[in-house]
Amino acid sequence: MNISEKLAPIRKGLLEFVILKIVAGDKVYVADMLKLLGPTEFATQEGTLYPLLSKLRREELVDYEWQESEAGPPRKYYKLTQKGRTQLSTLNDYWKDLNRTLADFGN
Amino acid sequence: MQKVVSISLNGNSYQLEEPGFNLLRTYLERAESRLKDSPDRAEVMADLEQAVGEKCRAMLGQHKTVVSVAEVERIIEEMGPVESADERTAHAASAAADGGTAQDAPAGAAPRKRLYQIREGAMWSGVCNGIAAYINVDVTWVRIAFVLLTIFSSGLWFLVYLVLMFVVPVANTAEDRAAAFGMPFNTEELISRAKKNFEEFGQTYRWRREWRRQQRHFNRQFRHMNEQIRATAAQAMPPMNHAARAILNGFLPLAAIIGAIVFVAWILALFSLITQHTIFGWALPYGMPQWAGIAALVLIYLAVVGPLKAIRHGGQGAAGYHPGWGALHGLIWLASTALLFWAAYHFFPGVRELVDNLVWAANLTATTISETIA
Repeated sequence: MNISEKLAPIRKGLLEFVILKIVAGDKVYVADMLKLLGPTEFATQEGTLYPLLSKLRREELVDYEWQESEAGPPRKYYKLTQKGRTQLSTLNDYWKDLNRTLADFGN
Repeated sequence: MQKVVSISLNGNSYQLEEPGFNLLRTYLERAESRLKDSPDRAEVMADLEQAVGEKCRAMLGQHKTVVSVAEVERIIEEMGPVESADERTAHAASAAADGGTAQDAPAGAAPRKRLYQIREGAMWSGVCNGIAAYINVDVTWVRIAFVLLTIFSSGLWFLVYLVLMFVVPVANTAEDRAAAFGMPFNTEELISRAKKNFEEFGQTYRWRREWRRQQRHFNRQFRHMNEQIRATAAQAMPPMNHAARAILNGFLPLAAIIGAIVFVAWILALFSLITQHTIFGWALPYGMPQWAGIAALVLIYLAVVGPLKAIRHGGQGAAGYHPGWGALHGLIWLASTALLFWAAYHFFPGVRELVDNLVWAANLTATTISETIA
């Protein structure tokens, strides 16, 4: 088992955090999210992303609006809700704490 | 030349080569089954359809109107396996193994097999398919065995199939399919699983229709087969003289009582084996799996009951046979069975516990049925 495989569960768990961060910027379409994630460690596919986004919407962390597209049917553009913003800042703080804890060990 | 299937994805129509259509249908069906416990199922399915549609559109142009098999394969590859977001956090690690098989199983320990129903390529519910995968033989042999057992047990074996259909879990995921037996057979889990499967079964209209159709078909075939067997038997039977028949008929009540004893003992042994992993306190030989024990019990039962049946049917082919003898045999058999069950219930605490459990399960099933209908 190499390092990347070992940390796969961590990446999976962090995906939700990463998505919230992406959605926090501008309204995004799923294809754009996938393009953003593609070159990173968090490369993801539709099969994972759609269920995750639906769950986040059910938890009222993100919301979407329909926008017409020049080619084909209207698309869902996702954005962060107020509740999502609060959760994102909590997650950010937690992540910083986690980093500090990791850095403190072994010193 | 390829046949083309026209499909509608989230309100838009696309043309796919037929094998490609089959691939896509399997992918979406699989996605749906993996999301079956998710409250977002409908929404995610619509999202997925739209995403597939968009990818299809990207493959098409003014002079290209059909999506090829290879392109569908690529689209499915890009979409990736669908996993429910709610179980994702809980099984994040195991989900990583989706698509692949059990490569991450600890080395050395052979993966434990589990019995599942496998719907892919199933004739009916996938019970035979699952058994075939479990004992590693071609599914045809298992089907033949099931049909033969049904014939020899005058349809009784069919009940076994029905029970298996509700009790054995369905393999929905790659992990399920990669595994194959060793399920905990305690009563509570058994009942809850049966209940759940039954509920799902009741909800699916298609299943009910299919069920009725199969039932009619089966009844027809079974009747036909029975007639043929009877006719052959009547021809093969040497004409019996009156004295021989009388002797044979004298044995009828005895045969009925022995038959009843064997039947009651068999049912109790079967339940004892399933719920307590022992036959009346006697454990199976070491290393013998439970299904083998059940199969052995069935074979023993058939072997014992065969001669009794011969006595019962002995007088039937010959002239002068009185149908009253058959009725008498049936009555004695029923009375003895009832008496024996009663005696077992009153004099063996183990049996009483078992029966109480069963009554409880039956009540549960009845409640479930009435709730499903209501």
